[in-house]
Amino acid sequence: MTGLVWLCRRETLRVSKLWTQTVLAPVISSILFILVFGLSLGGRIKQVSSVDYEVFIVPGLITMGMVQAAYANNASSIFQARFDRYIHDVLSAPLRPWQVALGFTVGGVFRALAIGGSLLVLSVVFVGVPVERPFALFAAVALGLVLFSALGVVVGIYAETWDHTTFIANIVILPLAFVGGVFYSVDVLPSPWQELSHFNPVFYLVNAVRFGFLGESDVSIWLSLGVVAALAVPVYAWSQWLFTSGRRLKD
Amino acid sequence: MFRDDSALSLRALTKRYGDGTLALDEFDLEIPSGAFFGLLGPNGAGKTTLISAVCNLLRVSSGEIRVFGEPHNSLTARSWIGLAEQDINLDRFLTVRETLTYHGGYFGMKDPGPRADELIAAFGLEHKSDTRAPRLSGGQRRRLLLARALMHRPRLVILDEPTAGVDFELRMDLWRYIRRLHAEGTTILLTTHYLDEAEELCDEIALIRDGHLIARDTAAGLRSHFGGERLEDVYVNAMRS
Repeated sequence: MTGLVWLCRRETLRVSKLWTQTVLAPVISSILFILVFGLSLGGRIKQVSSVDYEVFIVPGLITMGMVQAAYANNASSIFQARFDRYIHDVLSAPLRPWQVALGFTVGGVFRALAIGGSLLVLSVVFVGVPVERPFALFAAVALGLVLFSALGVVVGIYAETWDHTTFIANIVILPLAFVGGVFYSVDVLPSPWQELSHFNPVFYLVNAVRFGFLGESDVSIWLSLGVVAALAVPVYAWSQWLFTSGRRLKD
Repeated sequence: MFRDDSALSLRALTKRYGDGTLALDEFDLEIPSGAFFGLLGPNGAGKTTLISAVCNLLRVSSGEIRVFGEPHNSLTARSWIGLAEQDINLDRFLTVRETLTYHGGYFGMKDPGPRADELIAAFGLEHKSDTRAPRLSGGQRRRLLLARALMHRPRLVILDEPTAGVDFELRMDLWRYIRRLHAEGTTILLTTHYLDEAEELCDEIALIRDGHLIARDTAAGLRSHFGGERLEDVYVNAMRS
């Protein structure tokens, strides 16, 4: 287990060393969303589902900030390690594939929690967001981070250029987050957009996190957690299979 | 049958890459424990492929590899191998000291700090111990690469062209380190393009071309077999044969 601990330390050290890029920048960006959108639109949209608008958008924005960070961290860490070939130091070490997969996943989880924790504190201070269902919040965050951290690992292994890693972030994750009910309740959407939202996995994650914070969401918490878990488990298994088989990592 | 006293045993090792290139073809090799063994061959001969296969950095097509009698992909065998690759592949986010301590950690060392300090001193990197790898000079990176390979006290050290592109002084320094290591009982597998280096350091030399072993002997034995006064002549004659 010593090797796993050191790999986890390496991945978290990288986040800590680059904290202005990895934590501060996304926290500022998300808190600006909360303040600007909350304050500017909060005057016009008083309440959504009986919650003040500036409070309503907090769970979605925290989710968005965390999943983007979890994905981007691992995709870039693995891709950089492959690109510079210092991943060989890990691949040749006496580590089991599950330890390597877990070690590389931890960096994204750590970074996302640093961002999420900072945003939570700032949100409590600025807009007084509550945490109504802490266990549901914990489960939702845990599953969401496993999903997106593992996705980052997978993309970091398959990517052949930096553009491939940013493509998934900008063309897939960000749009899905924006249309996943971060800024609105899907109940207000006309058909067929309301129905289409239910095919968006980020919609379930945002709603699970929102349930944890506010105690209410557009869909059942169990359905939300189930959908996120149903995606997290195979994506994590995929990342571990890549280390077990050596595919894309070893010629 | 694998010999118990072998540091490295390759049996019918074959590696065919995805594009069809046959890098190693039914390759057999036995390196005795405690040997200083040289591997010579032109670019593309299969030297780096062989090393990568031993170090679990590529998937072999067929064949078997054992390190001190253990399957090469076992955790035990991995912990016995130290690799300094031809290309500088240092973690850009880590300082010199971190590079060594984290490597030691990956290889299961509980308290790698003292060993890292020992190697930093041995390789003359004391004043750079808090410097990140990208800020080191070429020679310092090369020293760090070798120090990293030795960090976990491996029984088999594999050096893939360790003196490629370094100046004369550093080359002599590296030779001294490597000789001392061998004198302490470590088995060394060295690939190099410098024939004088192979002759100066190695007990035995294998010539490899197109994924096949052409010959293996002492420098004197190769001279007598292929003809030629200098190892350069032997090499040219062997590659033409």
